[in-house]
Amino acid sequence: MKHILLVSFLASVFLAQSQRKIEYVEYDLDNGIHVILHEEHATPIVAVSVLYHVGSKNEKADRTGFAHFFEHLLFEGSQNIERGEYDELVESNGGMLNANTSQDRTFYFEILPSNQVELGIWLEAERMLHAKVENVGIETQRSVVKEEKRQRVDNQPYASFITETFKRMFKEHPYNWVPIGSMEHLDAAQQEDYVDFYRTFYVPANATISIAGDINIEDTKKWVAKYFGTMPKGQAINLFRDFEEMDDKAFVAKYAVSKDKFDANNFMKSKDKAAAALLSKYANTPIEIPRPEKVTEKLDGVIKDVVYDNIQLPAIFMSYQFPENTHKDMYALEMMNEVLSGGASSRINKTLVERKQMASFAFSFAYGLEDAGLGIFAAIAAKDKSLDDIQTEFDAQIELIKNELITQEEFEKIRNQFENQFISSNASIAGIAENLADNHVYSGGAEKINTELANYLSVTREDIQRVAKKYLTQDARIILHYLPIESK
Amino acid sequence: MKNFIIGLCLISPSILFGQLDRSIKPKAGIAPTINIKDSEVFKTSNGITVILSENHKLPRVTFDLVMGSTPKAYNKLAGLSDVAGSLILSGTKNRTKDEIDGEIDYIGASLNADNNSISMSCLTKHMDKGLSVMSDVLMNVNFPEDEVNRIIKQFESSLISAKSDGGTIAKNVMSKVIYPMGHPYGEVMTEATLSNINRTAIIDYYNDVFTPNGSYLVVIGDITKAEVEKAVNNYFSEWTGGNIYNTMLTSNKLNDGNRVFFVNKPGAVQSVVYISFPIDIKAGHEDYLKLKVLNGILGGGGFGTRLMQNLREDKAYTYGCYSSLNVNQNGSYLSAGGNFRNEVTDSAITQILFEIEKLITEDVLQSELSLTKSSMAGGFARSLESPATVARFALSIIKDDLPKDYYQTYLQKLDAVSIADLKMVAKKYFTSTKANIIVVGNEEVVEKLKAFDSDKKIEKLDAFANEVVDRIPADISAEELLSKYTSVIADGSEGKALAKKMKKTKSYEEVIEYTMEQMPFPMTSTKVWMKPSFEGTKMEGNGMAFQKSYFDGTTGAEWNMQTGSKTMTDEAISSKKKSFGIIPEMNYSLSGMNFELIGIENFNGKACYVLKLDDGDSETYDYFDKETFYKVQTISIKTVEGETQESTIGYSNYKVFGGFLFPTNINVSIGEMNLSGTLKSMTINAKVDISKFK
Repeated sequence: MKHILLVSFLASVFLAQSQRKIEYVEYDLDNGIHVILHEEHATPIVAVSVLYHVGSKNEKADRTGFAHFFEHLLFEGSQNIERGEYDELVESNGGMLNANTSQDRTFYFEILPSNQVELGIWLEAERMLHAKVENVGIETQRSVVKEEKRQRVDNQPYASFITETFKRMFKEHPYNWVPIGSMEHLDAAQQEDYVDFYRTFYVPANATISIAGDINIEDTKKWVAKYFGTMPKGQAINLFRDFEEMDDKAFVAKYAVSKDKFDANNFMKSKDKAAAALLSKYANTPIEIPRPEKVTEKLDGVIKDVVYDNIQLPAIFMSYQFPENTHKDMYALEMMNEVLSGGASSRINKTLVERKQMASFAFSFAYGLEDAGLGIFAAIAAKDKSLDDIQTEFDAQIELIKNELITQEEFEKIRNQFENQFISSNASIAGIAENLADNHVYSGGAEKINTELANYLSVTREDIQRVAKKYLTQDARIILHYLPIESK
Repeated sequence: MKNFIIGLCLISPSILFGQLDRSIKPKAGIAPTINIKDSEVFKTSNGITVILSENHKLPRVTFDLVMGSTPKAYNKLAGLSDVAGSLILSGTKNRTKDEIDGEIDYIGASLNADNNSISMSCLTKHMDKGLSVMSDVLMNVNFPEDEVNRIIKQFESSLISAKSDGGTIAKNVMSKVIYPMGHPYGEVMTEATLSNINRTAIIDYYNDVFTPNGSYLVVIGDITKAEVEKAVNNYFSEWTGGNIYNTMLTSNKLNDGNRVFFVNKPGAVQSVVYISFPIDIKAGHEDYLKLKVLNGILGGGGFGTRLMQNLREDKAYTYGCYSSLNVNQNGSYLSAGGNFRNEVTDSAITQILFEIEKLITEDVLQSELSLTKSSMAGGFARSLESPATVARFALSIIKDDLPKDYYQTYLQKLDAVSIADLKMVAKKYFTSTKANIIVVGNEEVVEKLKAFDSDKKIEKLDAFANEVVDRIPADISAEELLSKYTSVIADGSEGKALAKKMKKTKSYEEVIEYTMEQMPFPMTSTKVWMKPSFEGTKMEGNGMAFQKSYFDGTTGAEWNMQTGSKTMTDEAISSKKKSFGIIPEMNYSLSGMNFELIGIENFNGKACYVLKLDDGDSETYDYFDKETFYKVQTISIKTVEGETQESTIGYSNYKVFGGFLFPTNINVSIGEMNLSGTLKSMTINAKVDISKFK
């Protein structure tokens, strides 16, 4: 039996590897930008995207919310794009655009017809080089972000559990706070703080460009070189930004070289000796990008707390510390989670919700991040059911998955579900562009896009049991009881 | 010269691009060519036309089976096709619904069906499993009784809520006016037609429409022709059925002049307006793409359209005014409209007609034309990434008899559309003088609409586009109505017998079970009344209470899950005092309830007495069947903090309980929510535990 299973494993791993391979070209520009290009001609469209390796974990503790705020600000325009024009340029050319921020990175993309690749590249270059970071835009986006927080977090019952969990799990690491950050910090911040953030993180060395779709590699390389290759390296980018924004008096006061010594259209190759010397000095000084130390803190006990919220039904949120998402155990942990909570036939749904009817809603998920993760178990109680009863049932499920191997049928089902999900996530060029960039920045390399599935399919039932034992540590976890305000 | 040119070519790109002016926006390249491969087409011996569009980019496959019959009208059973379509996945001879769901989930596949198609998609390697479920559903669906009942109940609820949804009402009217009598798209499901639909009719429908003859099986994805032939042989070759039904259908001809249709929606603060006219083309017609571009300029999406610029940006009549072009083989049309405040309803109509007329008489601007074409080209290109789009194209080429390269040359055709083309199709197809102007809204806007109608007579319809007889005066007094109703509800008791019965009745407990589509569990409503004046209500489900209230004759309180406990307001107390007991109607004269018999109206095709009530808290309209005196509907309008909330309750299937008649089917509709209720128990002189409600 074991032999047959082993053979079928190897067969499936081999099968996974013989699935289509995503081909791509990758290289670095002189100024540190990493470029990944994937050519495919299935549809005459292209996804142009840029990933900046800045998220909420790069923020200062008294200036949270900046990374997410910038996601909004970067739609406001640039030196050459008016307010409101960015959206219009994309949409009037048959495209669509969006962006997202996490604790670890900020990601921007456009999907355009493939004869507009140069437009997409120019647009992203404008953002990277000299986006407008000034009071008008800042004021507008502050209200927009406040509305977003109200709608998505404050007014959503239970939504604060992410914030409450993270701040207890990570006391030293910046995962202590979440991307939306604090409205007080955003309000208290001055324009200089915003400008400082832009100049520290929105720089070539911190960016990955990922373009996928109906492109010609040579033409695309040409355009990338034209708009991004010419971008100043190191500190010189901020020298250039000052050059564009400051008047001559202020510029001279700061740099002791007059603006007219520089060539506006060929900045980095300005001929004047003083200018060239300054450029060289700044170009060769890298920008220090503050990144937090990896997580070393560990929970040393059980933290139990009560949170009062605008809810009617109590809820329980239980969290364990999981490793960072590049850790090899994460594959098994995600599959363990699929058994517990993937779909109507999953264990947690069947027991807590359907058979024992203690919860109206229950799930578990593996929250993966660059420096460390969380394993979360959550349930909203049914009427007159105590959270302690739900706790007991969760603990029983955890004991079960630690003490017994999952069934063969469950094992096959989750493998099918993972395979399906994996293929779907690489079905669109936008998905491919994002996966390539993510994998390069914090999954150990773009090539992961081709090896991910095999990694999942090589997880055994024993692996799942092993990681359950290792990480679902009953003596080190956070248990939050959410209770209605009225019950205080 | 030669050396110079060679020298130039040797200069590295970075220096060539050294002079970079970033303020210059890049120009677009040449429009890309799209590559839509020809499909493989073959026919099976049982009549299925198989269309294969191979695409080995991803290891997944979709099987989309579409029936070939022209739709039919079902008249007294209007809506049958929608009901049947909702039940195709309800279960087979071999599998329960749960089993179907479980098997599909296990392979990570998806299975969908409607009134003339079934489609399944999955990873290639699970194809056999997926197809075995799909073919079982196709050939062995057996419409289990409990599923039929459940779905019919859902439709009952949706019909009730349709009555208070202006958009649905407007669409109902539009169907009736665009399509001729007897056209399948021109009929509207009503409560009467739904009541004629049963399991037998559904099975007949299925046998009639789901036949291999003339059907199409579109296969997209990671599969070869040989594999498709094998799959078809294994899973669809045993499928048998009758002949298909084929006929030519068209929309109506254009009117002679503008016709105005009005549907009254009591209390509306906005009108839903559609201006619509038939267009005599089918898919593939050479004018189709030109019309699409023209529609794009008129109001086909985005902020830059004529309608948006005029009615929103300039006049601020609305948040959104759009137009849409619906082209299909059974009758095409254009419609333009939106929601407008009551006061500007007539002005909005004037402006929409103005914009349509302007396109007929004036050239469009080159900038508008370029923008619209760019936007359409982009949308087209992006849509090609989806297998569903590819499937749709492959099918329409065969089904609509289009040239093989129709979609392949779409972008070129689009690019070629000129200002003159648009003027030509506007003149040929658009009209501002022979259109249908449909308004759903408040009675107060009617007077100003008369001017738009060619013969100044407005046609009034109900929510299901049936002609409405204006409310006529009642032929009895309100007191007579109340007395007759009371007697009927007291199972015929009158006079002394009635008084005796009422004296003996000391309490009651009514338990109704409600199901609602959005709730995974049913809810139970308990209502009690106990002499002299205790009343309690409770709503619970899944083991928890959602709402509770009580009134003891002088005071009371309400508790609900959202807002907690609240003592009863003075208005609520006052209203409770006016309506109490097992037959509240008996006490209206004494209790101070304001009531007025405002006339006779048609409801569901039957004449009804309409009694208007005002208890100080809300305004209510009770409808009593003129023949039977049963109460069939209650519409209640309550204004809370400036917001109007309308709820509609439908009653049917009265049965006798302890000497009184009560409806056993109660459907409640509040905004988007529809609750379908069944009376579980009605206990006269029940023991009442008032603590349960406090």
